[in-house]
Amino acid sequence: MGERADVWQGTLALMVLKTLQALGPLHGYGIARRIEQTSGDLLAVNYGTLYPALLKLEQEGYISSEWGTSDNNRKAKYYKLTRAGRKQLEREAREWEQTTEILARFLSPGKESA
Amino acid sequence: MRQLRAFFFRLAGLFRKDRRDRDLSAEMETHLTMHLEDNLRAGMSLAEARRQALIKLGGIEQTKEICRERRGLPLLETFFQDLRFAFRMLRKNPGFTAVAALTLALGIGANTAIFSIVNAVVLRPLPYKDSSRIVTFHTKTAMFPNFTLPLTWPAFQEVRGQSTLLEETAAYWATDRTLTGVDQPEVLRVTGVSNGFFEELGGTAEQGRLLSEQDHKPGQDRLAVISDAFWRTRFATDSSVIGRKLILDKEVYTIIGVAAQGFAFPERSEVWLPLSLTPEIEQNQKFFRFQVLGKLRKGEKLETLQAGLGAIGQRIAKLDPALGKGYKLSAEPLLESRVHDAQQSYLVLLAAATFVLLIACANLTSLLMARGWGRNREMAVRAALGASPGRLQRQGLVESCLLALLGGTVGIALAAGIVGVFRAIAPSGTPRLAEITPDWTLLWFALASSLVSGVVFGLAPARRAARMAPSEALKEGTAGSVSGTSRFGSALVVVEVALAFILLIASTLMMQTLAHLLHQNPGFRTDHLLTFDLPQPPQWNQKDSESSATGQIVRLKDMLAQVRRLPGVEEVVASDHGILNGMMYEHSGLQLEGALPEQSAVTESVIARYISPDYFHMLGISLVRGREFDEQDQQGAQKVVMVNEAMARKYWSTLDIVGKRLSVSTDGKGTPQWNEIVGVVANARDVGIQDEASPEFYLALFQRGVGSHHLIVRTQANPDALAGTISRQIWASYPDQPVRHVMTLTETIAESVGDQRMHTALLGVFAGVGLTLALLGVYGVVSYSVARRTQEIGVRMALGAARADVLRMVLRQGLTLVACGAAIGAAGAFGAVRVIASELYGVKSSDPWTFAGGAALILIVGCLACWVPARRAMRVDPIVALRYE
Repeated sequence: MGERADVWQGTLALMVLKTLQALGPLHGYGIARRIEQTSGDLLAVNYGTLYPALLKLEQEGYISSEWGTSDNNRKAKYYKLTRAGRKQLEREAREWEQTTEILARFLSPGKESA
Repeated sequence: MRQLRAFFFRLAGLFRKDRRDRDLSAEMETHLTMHLEDNLRAGMSLAEARRQALIKLGGIEQTKEICRERRGLPLLETFFQDLRFAFRMLRKNPGFTAVAALTLALGIGANTAIFSIVNAVVLRPLPYKDSSRIVTFHTKTAMFPNFTLPLTWPAFQEVRGQSTLLEETAAYWATDRTLTGVDQPEVLRVTGVSNGFFEELGGTAEQGRLLSEQDHKPGQDRLAVISDAFWRTRFATDSSVIGRKLILDKEVYTIIGVAAQGFAFPERSEVWLPLSLTPEIEQNQKFFRFQVLGKLRKGEKLETLQAGLGAIGQRIAKLDPALGKGYKLSAEPLLESRVHDAQQSYLVLLAAATFVLLIACANLTSLLMARGWGRNREMAVRAALGASPGRLQRQGLVESCLLALLGGTVGIALAAGIVGVFRAIAPSGTPRLAEITPDWTLLWFALASSLVSGVVFGLAPARRAARMAPSEALKEGTAGSVSGTSRFGSALVVVEVALAFILLIASTLMMQTLAHLLHQNPGFRTDHLLTFDLPQPPQWNQKDSESSATGQIVRLKDMLAQVRRLPGVEEVVASDHGILNGMMYEHSGLQLEGALPEQSAVTESVIARYISPDYFHMLGISLVRGREFDEQDQQGAQKVVMVNEAMARKYWSTLDIVGKRLSVSTDGKGTPQWNEIVGVVANARDVGIQDEASPEFYLALFQRGVGSHHLIVRTQANPDALAGTISRQIWASYPDQPVRHVMTLTETIAESVGDQRMHTALLGVFAGVGLTLALLGVYGVVSYSVARRTQEIGVRMALGAARADVLRMVLRQGLTLVACGAAIGAAGAFGAVRVIASELYGVKSSDPWTFAGGAALILIVGCLACWVPARRAMRVDPIVALRYE
């Protein structure tokens, strides 16, 4: 448990968007599980990070929500990606790739001398 | 964009809060259940599954709080919370709220009222088209060193020639003319105007039309435009007024239009006519009668115009050496020329009102501070429960601003009242009086000043509350440490007392001035005197001045005889101008016989009066040499003159000048026309009560006849009772003779000091309010500190301090504050009252008695303010005090 890192707010939004793109409409618990699984259980998503992030995305119009019924007949709130959300996902994913690429160049040894 | 969208969502989030809260709870509930189910499926026991889920998901309430904040606008929401809380606090302490709001209402009310007056009189642009570019013109010449004169017609033509700088110019000449052909003859303010006058000011007609260029053609110019006010009072807004006749000084004019409501230029003008001038006047280089208006072209500077005027002035000065000496033409923005002298005294009043507001603010600050100490615990508890310092500070400010707005609202009502009173008591000569109305600017000003003062007096207590460490405040409990804590409050009281002291000194000086003016001995008997004007047609209209003068003299003598016969009249005399109403006539170019060598040709002008026989005897001015005018001094007899002591001493340096001669004018060839000096009289202040006695000479009215007549009646009993009788007597014989300004001399004197009276009254009120507030402040601080020191006082008494010691201790504390304030105030007042030095009369701005008296007064009232808390301290029962808390 101890080695599990809390999720970083900025990246959490990106992960939520990506999850919704990959799996379609999903409830909060589903989103959390998916993120944890995808991270190979390296990340822990708790209420305090997840729900404020969802609220913020919804306010900004990237996702929308409605109440629905889960597989085992439970009432749950489902979130789905909006059109603006799709665009935002593309944009953020691109930026993120760029950032990691740049950082990778700094961090991987030997490239400079080559 | 996204932020904006989010903002609106959050704004919407302020509402339907409960539903959203329930939604979130339900959502998290589902989340937890799903988690639990998964854990169970993974083979955990129910208890373990639940424990794991809760650990992992974290605090539900905290999440809710974060979402709540995220959902709404926390700043706005806490603001509403603060507002609700502040309302509750104010309702809970109605006494405190009332005192605080009233204190502030006084400050804001006074300030707002004076501001709206200053705004209307001094700041707001005049209500004419492009009024900021309109300038007026003046002449200065050594012939009349005491006056700033209008222009002559030739000078106006020169100014009109400056068309590169001025896009429009116009001249006007305001006179009084008599309206006849009506029940009671009436004197109207009539303005003769050149063409371009209405165009320049942007005047419009309400009925008919205004004067235009072709109305100024000689022979077709007997036309008149009347003012809206005149139309209402005289014609009851009858629209058939156009085309009616108006008989002014026996000349018939046709009314062609009514000027729009609010168009009143020059002030109180009732009729406008085309100026029609004789060729003689059009050439005259010494006939300074024409007020000239010019409108600067856009972008042109006043300085450029002044330079152009300088050149014109030099050209004109060369035409006539007597005129040319010191001859100068200048221009001045219209607004400045209108409010000139008023400006300073209004700014003084505004400063005084600001002082009152500052005192009110200081007072409130210390009130709030004192209350803040009482709420230390509460603040500490709130801080301990997680309120951030910013939050506490914000809440304090909300409370003080709310209080300020409350005070401001009452203040607005007060201000409207003060403005009303001001309009009622303002002397009629106050510039732009009609424009002074409570308006929106007033409201904004009141609102702004109450918010500013709310922040000012709320900031210090709020900051202190926020700075406090909760642990200490909670521990403090019964602590007796007072010295450090009330230092700021004491400083405030000192400032209050200092400001109040300055106001006190200023208003005392003004009161002394007023008293001096009212009890000034003018050098003659002012009791039982009734004065009034008998306006005569202006002489410039008369073809034959010699015979018309004869006619006037006959008429005047007859009127005097009729009035003299009335029961109750003791004596009546006539002069050209009234006494003590500031009106006078000056003659220039005097030549004196046998005078000091350097004075035989007098370059400056000297005050001249035209008087009937017995004038000095009736007024009680003593004759020093020679005789008064008598019935023998007729037209055709040897022309005679009298002088006053000041004149005799200045020009002859002796009083024995009877028989010497004085010339006022020359005939066509330059030969002096001599008058024989028949008497010398004592000095009297008959022009204005504030003026020092200056050289004056007197001409025999019955030898010359002049354009204006003024009767002075000494009555046997109350002069008021005779006023109507005299007017009726004159109208019975002379139905076309207006009688106006019927006033007792006491009224004339009161009117002549009207400005000072009003300023004094207002300053006095401000000083009174300021002083009261400051002493309330002293009372507040002292009684608060007594309350806080109850325990300490108890200990002292238990250890043997006598009641007198306690009394001394409390008094010492209070009076030290008052004395400090008075000392600082005295230093401040010494500098500040110099500003009003020019308004003072008969008392110096540094008058030691005033300062000493003010200090004594403030110390005595300071004692009273300390007395109540001191007695409370004396009555402290040591046993109760020790058990206190």
